[in-house]
Amino acid sequence: MRTVRVVGVVVLLWGAALSLAQESKIGNLTGHAKSGKALYRRYCITCHGSHGDGVGENAPYLDPKPRDFTRATFKCRSTPSGSLPTDSDLFDAISRGIFNSAMPPWRPLTREERADLVAYIKTFSPRFQEEKPAAPLQIPPEPPSSSESVQRGAELFQNMNCWSCHGKEGRGNGPSAHNLTDSKGNPIVPFDLTSGMHLKCGDSSQGIFRDLMTGLDGTPMPSFSDAMTPDQAWDLVHFIEWLQSANRGKGFWAKLASKGD
Amino acid sequence: MYAIPAFARKYNLRCSDCHEAWPKLNHFGQTFKDNGYQLMTGRDAPIFQQISYFPIMFRSMPIWHRESDNRVPADIIPGKPAGGQVETTLTTHGFDISGLDIWTAGTLYKNMSFAVEPAIDNNGKAHLATYFVRFDNLLNSPWLNLKVGKFELDTLISEARELMLSGQGGFYQSYHFTPIGDQTSFGIGDHQLGAELMGHSKNDYTRYAFSVLGSNDGQANTTPSSYDVYGDLTQAFELPKLGLQTIGVYGYLGQRPTYFQTSNGAPISGAGRGNRSFSRTGVYGLWYFGRFDLSTFYLHGQDNVFLGNGVPANQQFNLPPGAAGPTWNGGFVEAHYTYNPQLILVGKWETVQMSRVSNPAMRKNLGDVRVWTVGYRWYPIMSSRAGLAWHQEYARAVTVGTAPLTGRDDTASSFLMGFDFDF
Amino acid sequence: MPVFPEIFGWRFLFESAETNWLDMRQYWFHLAILGGLAACLATEGKLRMGVAAPMPNPPGATVKGTVKFKGTVPKPSRIDMSADAKCVQARPGGGLTEEIVADGGGLQNVIVYVSQGLGDAKFDPPKEPAVIDQKGCMYQPHVVTLRANQELKVVNSDNTTHNIHPIPNNNRELNQSQPPGVPFSMTFAREEIAIPVNCNIHPWMHSYIAVFKHPYFAVTGKAGGFEIPNLPPGTYTITAWHEKLGSSFQKITVGESETKTLEFVFKAQPGF
Repeated sequence: MRTVRVVGVVVLLWGAALSLAQESKIGNLTGHAKSGKALYRRYCITCHGSHGDGVGENAPYLDPKPRDFTRATFKCRSTPSGSLPTDSDLFDAISRGIFNSAMPPWRPLTREERADLVAYIKTFSPRFQEEKPAAPLQIPPEPPSSSESVQRGAELFQNMNCWSCHGKEGRGNGPSAHNLTDSKGNPIVPFDLTSGMHLKCGDSSQGIFRDLMTGLDGTPMPSFSDAMTPDQAWDLVHFIEWLQSANRGKGFWAKLASKGD
Repeated sequence: MYAIPAFARKYNLRCSDCHEAWPKLNHFGQTFKDNGYQLMTGRDAPIFQQISYFPIMFRSMPIWHRESDNRVPADIIPGKPAGGQVETTLTTHGFDISGLDIWTAGTLYKNMSFAVEPAIDNNGKAHLATYFVRFDNLLNSPWLNLKVGKFELDTLISEARELMLSGQGGFYQSYHFTPIGDQTSFGIGDHQLGAELMGHSKNDYTRYAFSVLGSNDGQANTTPSSYDVYGDLTQAFELPKLGLQTIGVYGYLGQRPTYFQTSNGAPISGAGRGNRSFSRTGVYGLWYFGRFDLSTFYLHGQDNVFLGNGVPANQQFNLPPGAAGPTWNGGFVEAHYTYNPQLILVGKWETVQMSRVSNPAMRKNLGDVRVWTVGYRWYPIMSSRAGLAWHQEYARAVTVGTAPLTGRDDTASSFLMGFDFDF
Repeated sequence: MPVFPEIFGWRFLFESAETNWLDMRQYWFHLAILGGLAACLATEGKLRMGVAAPMPNPPGATVKGTVKFKGTVPKPSRIDMSADAKCVQARPGGGLTEEIVADGGGLQNVIVYVSQGLGDAKFDPPKEPAVIDQKGCMYQPHVVTLRANQELKVVNSDNTTHNIHPIPNNNRELNQSQPPGVPFSMTFAREEIAIPVNCNIHPWMHSYIAVFKHPYFAVTGKAGGFEIPNLPPGTYTITAWHEKLGSSFQKITVGESETKTLEFVFKAQPGF
């Protein structure tokens, strides 16, 4: 009996140390949860809450709502749908912010500070200790765009039923759009591809490709990794860029919201 | 004195997000300011604000303070000036108010920001301390921002966001020092009227500013017909495990008239003549070591001989023999220990020392000043709507040779405590 | 009962003052903990519970019965599938909502299962996959039951692209687009009753996936009947779960080869 107790206490203490000894690794940068905790209290707690569950003092006044870290479900990842994000994914999300939401770009924080925050955020969900993120997506080189590629992309847009949420013209007003909710039950709107606005997870062609292949977990936007070959996905990327180009930076909302860069 | 809960209300962020300990900005807050009070999340234009939001804030501070000065001339027999005067130590104390700041600032449109500050002093007298429009990110670049109006000169160590508030400690001597006998009306900490072109890198590590100001130390309604220039350049770099370090270099080159054209003996406003130049140049640094940080500042001041002696430029004969343009060096080291976002300890040591006086008949170090200040601020609440700080501070200043009767050193001290609140 | 506090998701066996037949199990658990700790040190992994002793194997008991619905059955509404012409083609009459399906007093789509009494017994998941089919733009079956770590084959028998989007509380959430005929499989690692599943492209499509650690569960059919065979003798709590009407439970004790019959009753609720 006593042995069990002693062993139990040792393992318990070790577990406690492990939980805050959580580290993050981004490139050659190592972040530490202990330092991240103080930074979280200064910068993040007001929206994401002291338990990391997205119920900070400001949460009732925000749309979209702050991320609930306890669920370990994240929109902007380089890993397949259902998988945890990599440390780099979290680092990039913190640095870039989430455009058109209350999440600012925290790029002014030093790289070490951001890495420390990633390490601390991972302590909110046991999933980060129980699982490892799946292998990140390898994005193949982009074939050049062409009107044939755009045309094929338009056909995919039709056959993959993208229009049912994003609308036939990509304006976010498809027949299934009006009562979409995110996985917490909050109303959510499909992206208006013609708005010229910045995308949440990064704007480049690679960014759109990645969004298609990983899906935005926690939202109705699925992953198409099993539905399309990479070449098909590039065609769809080219079609989406064609939808955006006509209005990039020129639409009323784009002018007001665009970063200007 | 700027910390703006209106921004907290607009963006749903706490004071601690932008301020190390308000009003002192951290790097995230400085970037927000340099972007034109914009977070760059796509929701900066005022159309995205809550319709009931109005970007106005108030800051005031009811205090109890104690002031002491050991060289106050007083009649030996009260009420009988003929009986002679003597320098005495005068100590006064009581409840008071430290003034009222009213501020409104934010965006007029995407990439158009503004600020207006009608500051009210503790006598209830108002003056327009700040007013400007700024066109941000011109040509879609963070390197071009144009500000026009009345504003504080670009610097990372802002007197307006100082953590000290007492009579002797609540300002930077170097920012206002004028040698004895000098008539130059200028303080580098005063708000100036003019236009500023400013730019920064995306992460705000590299910054520059160049401004053209009126030669009137920010006085409206004077149109002096001559201009000063100011430039400032800062560069930040990360030191692993320690934090962000920044160095800055600045220079102000100005001119002031030494006499005016007159009409019936009265000076005609704006018709200054005999302009002579002055300069303020120096370097500063922000040094972070985890929770402990230092702000260091150095200034070299130089005024023309006519300005330094208060003699019109067309009356050279009135210069005292051996007259020279006064020069001086000033600087301070200010240390902070931010225990957490709700408790900060502050200490400052500052000195300004003449290196050349304007009149050789003067004492070589006449007017030199040494000040040290200690204090702390405790923020019992930290929210995204308003702020409150409990402030305590003690400062002691010694000025060389300025006692009015005996020409001895003057020692003055302040003790202040009060509730600094910000809505 | 031994106390198993959960700390950081890890379970520790502390002292228990129990009857004799559990002493054997304590011995195995001590060994398991020490062995697990050693494994932990070697791999920096999580402490896992040791392999429990296999359940004794006398002939099992059967729990069967009916789930009844009392009150007026709310009329299902017709689903408008015109948002996707291919769904209208595949199901010309349109579908009916499936929230409460009760013909002749029996309530369908109720999951009846053993919720307590099996202790920490472990059961390997079967090799054959469970199947959920998207057919005529509706899920078939409406309620899927399977075991933790058992493969769930998702089939798209339709001529239009669907997306399979389970939103679990205790498992990983994923969202995968599935064009016609493209195969897709997934598994759920932890027990959860039950995970709602949606198709966002066709928002009227709903189903539930219940994931179990053990094989003692059943789903009621048209007449509301269920049967759980091969239950080891013992005392159990049997729970009946319905997606809209909630859960209720009953405690039973079964001996070898005994058959017990239970009845669950769900009442009509206002608003449904």
